[in-house]
Amino acid sequence: MKSADRRVLTVAGVLGVLLLGLAVAAPGFFQLGNLRDLIVDNSLVLLPALGMTAVILCHEIDLSVGSIFGVCCVVAGGLAQAGFPMPALLLLIPLLGAAFGALNAGLVVGLGVPSMIATLATMVGIRGALQWFTQGAWVNDLPAGFQWFGLGQAAGQALLVLVAAALWLALSWMFGQVAAGRALYAVGADADAARLVGIRPKAVVSGAFVSLGALAGLAALLSSARFTSIQPSAGTGMELQVIACVVVGGTSILGGRGGLTGTLLGVALLGVIATTLIFLHVNPAWEKAIQGAIILVAMLGARSHSVDRLPAERPVAGRVPGKVVRP
Amino acid sequence: MTEPTRLSTHQSTLRRWFPNHEWVLLILLAVEVALFSATGRNFLTVTNAFELVRSGCEVGLLALGMTLVIITGGIDLSVGSMMGMAAITLGWLNNVAGVPIVPAIAVALAMGALGGWMNGALIARLGVPPLIVTLGTYSLFRGLAEGLTKGIINYSSFSDAFKALGNGYWLGCVPRQLPLFLLVAVGVWLLLHRSVFGRQLYALGCSKEGALHAGVPVGRRVVTTYVLSGLLAALAAVVYAARLGQAKADAGTGFELMAITAVVLGGTSIDGGKGTILGTMLGLAAIVMLENGLRLAGQQAEASQVMIGVLLLVAILGHRFGTGGRAGAVASTSRDSCEEFEMKNYQVAILSVAMLLSALIVAGSNKKVAEQMSLLSAAPPVAATQRAGAPPPPPPAKKLTIALMPKNKGEPYFLSCKKGADEAVAALGGQVEFLWDGPANPDPSKQNEVIDAWITRGVDVIAASVENKEAISTVLKKARAKGIKVICWDADAVADARDFMVQQATPEGIGTALMDEAARVMGNKGTFAIVTASLTAANQNEWIEYIKKRLAAKYPDIKLATIEPSEGKRDVAMTRTSALLKANPDVKLVMGIAAPAVPGAAEAVVQSGRKDVKVIGLSLPSLCREFIHKGVVDCIVLWNTVDLGYLTVHAARALAQGDIKAGSTTMEAGRLGKIEIAGDQVLLGKPFVFNKDNVDQFDF
Repeated sequence: MKSADRRVLTVAGVLGVLLLGLAVAAPGFFQLGNLRDLIVDNSLVLLPALGMTAVILCHEIDLSVGSIFGVCCVVAGGLAQAGFPMPALLLLIPLLGAAFGALNAGLVVGLGVPSMIATLATMVGIRGALQWFTQGAWVNDLPAGFQWFGLGQAAGQALLVLVAAALWLALSWMFGQVAAGRALYAVGADADAARLVGIRPKAVVSGAFVSLGALAGLAALLSSARFTSIQPSAGTGMELQVIACVVVGGTSILGGRGGLTGTLLGVALLGVIATTLIFLHVNPAWEKAIQGAIILVAMLGARSHSVDRLPAERPVAGRVPGKVVRP
Repeated sequence: MTEPTRLSTHQSTLRRWFPNHEWVLLILLAVEVALFSATGRNFLTVTNAFELVRSGCEVGLLALGMTLVIITGGIDLSVGSMMGMAAITLGWLNNVAGVPIVPAIAVALAMGALGGWMNGALIARLGVPPLIVTLGTYSLFRGLAEGLTKGIINYSSFSDAFKALGNGYWLGCVPRQLPLFLLVAVGVWLLLHRSVFGRQLYALGCSKEGALHAGVPVGRRVVTTYVLSGLLAALAAVVYAARLGQAKADAGTGFELMAITAVVLGGTSIDGGKGTILGTMLGLAAIVMLENGLRLAGQQAEASQVMIGVLLLVAILGHRFGTGGRAGAVASTSRDSCEEFEMKNYQVAILSVAMLLSALIVAGSNKKVAEQMSLLSAAPPVAATQRAGAPPPPPPAKKLTIALMPKNKGEPYFLSCKKGADEAVAALGGQVEFLWDGPANPDPSKQNEVIDAWITRGVDVIAASVENKEAISTVLKKARAKGIKVICWDADAVADARDFMVQQATPEGIGTALMDEAARVMGNKGTFAIVTASLTAANQNEWIEYIKKRLAAKYPDIKLATIEPSEGKRDVAMTRTSALLKANPDVKLVMGIAAPAVPGAAEAVVQSGRKDVKVIGLSLPSLCREFIHKGVVDCIVLWNTVDLGYLTVHAARALAQGDIKAGSTTMEAGRLGKIEIAGDQVLLGKPFVFNKDNVDQFDF
């Protein structure tokens, strides 16, 4: 069995055990309203996690997603106040997110800055600029049609979940069946080999960053639409949460392995912890410890080999230094 | 072999000391020094240089360990959380178990080493990527620290001798941290640059397999590196606890990113195999000096965040272009970072220009520069009249500098206070220079840094809203010793650390008023829940204490079901409230005790469709107005925050100009008229209950 599959099964197993346990200990967890809340909330985490999966599959990382999310929230509020109709926002805000994604892509692909550093810089810079600009002031007095896109709560929630579900399905199909999706794996596993077979790694990596930006923007808009005002500190700390979801879901941080089924499970597993603790009446102070333990346990499924020993076969990432193939 | 060596002597001196073009950072530092000497007050002084060491020490210790880790090609996200773990270990051992401070420090350091060993073992023995392992322990360590103390416990009874390590001076001006920090820095430098161990780290950072073939015990070296990183994190926690005089689970939150930033700014390659301690120190200095300089120039600290982002990119691009590192198809796949290239002159020029430009971005936004420019252009005529023998014009009346610090600049609560403060400053006309700065998150260590910078800058009055009494009082006393008047507003420090307290309501008053309102809404019976800021928030915990006291004393039929954190975020408050209402169906009232928590909880109640649940709490009218009108929020308890800011500025002015002093019983406060002073408390009035009848009269 491939190790990625094994990890997906591990996560599914942990989630299954957790839910079974809950069914016994706190059956109230499964009431319809609670499940609906969980699905709505976690749909909003799933969206950037989809993009983050693509980025991590390419053996890159994006720390700026929370800052992009925050800016998009505030801009969405500003535009709505200025009288832009909601459908226009649905187009403009993901575009804004994509523009930030393109900035990251430009730094990483165009200028050759390692993605960890490039996105650390944009994370700090964008958040700083946002705080500087807003001084922390909330965007209040949004037009009446802003909340739930004017559709009302039930339809609005349904829209949100449908968008997330549709994107998950579409991207899952793309990652598995479409050349552009497979290219992510190829580039992540071995960029030089990918180039030799005619894939353009730069375009693929750029695409991943831009899609992540667009998805963060979409999530920002959908998330803001749940409320009647906007808090500019939205999205702080989101980057590590999203990365944790993706890696718990079995996508290898070294690129080239993983997928969206795992990401969905990762989001679900980390997304139910807080609610589970509330239903079990456990002190919420333990939440972070449990989250950390889950990440570490899930990782045990990811173990490859001790660094003391040479691997039996060439590692999948295939990035043996000094062996850069130049055609 | 001597011939070629001599030929390349000129190059190799530079290369030997700055193998990674660290001299680029020297240029950057020179630019910063020049810029801030011109714009910042008292920037170029010995005292300020030493204060920089104090504020950079903890992140510096983390950065030293992080340099080793990153050179091996790894990363350690867990160091900030480890500080929390080590801090509570130290605090518990010393304050609760009564262990003397030296063994307690030893155990805290051992805890750091143990945590580091855990990281190292998972990475080296199980082959899990470092980013993931330390992402896990980043949550785990902080979670354990919070879980073990429930987030609430704050160990603060340390001896003065221990606290002197963080606040004391040697020879009058050398901070006690300096020798310790230098010792550690030199130790790590020797280890990395002058020992076999250090060379092996570079080797395994360049190529693990290569190092293995060369006989390097890679696993052991990796584990040792993470142990050192954990150890230094624990040491940083000790210094942090000594500086603030308190140990709490939230120590060092967010420090990991600052340390990583310093390291990569210093030229250490994130791919491993390349980097120097000198570079890390220069990178750290660049960051610390940037924040400090902006403060002394009276600028917002957010600007420094933007600048740090720009600098990171510029520095990395400098290294990239300098080392020709663009050969690979995609950045992270280009593995020629271990190869050596020379930087060309024109590239140096481009880089320097880029840095100057980015420095000018700050300068351009700097009103002081503009003022000084206009002064400069106005200067010649003055000189001319002087030459002509005319009497020199009288010096302009000295402006009064009043510096106000909120707990958290991003809070809507403090924004509305600032509104009042701005109004008062405008009313006082040109006689006041007004500074407003503080942490972007409620962070006691940042508060100390800001006040230290203000002391160096030389302000007339400091008015602080105190996040943590013990943590801030030492530095406030220092300000008073230097002749600066000190006022506390909103939240008090210890009594001898300030002249007056502008009191809007005591924690007891707030807690009692909230509980009484809750009881009224609930009809004196039933179950309620609290949504707080974060579990470690000092003020909220104080209020909760009085809420519980009042509950126990007066309302036997009311039960508190749970206290949930919202991390200061409205969407988290909503999620938690939705879940807690379903897990505790008998909850009839949710009390939000942070400004974003009330609208978050109210939105959750609206969306759950429950008509029988009411929300009350402590928040701003502007955030809750619509919910109050909808009837979801019954009322909010608060005071007039705009008036609070307004009164604070007036009190600060009155104190500085001698209009009020110890023993005064009233003061004039502009549009507020005569304000009563009881003892050392300037009284704003009682907490106010905002409900649907009066909420529209307030626009903050």
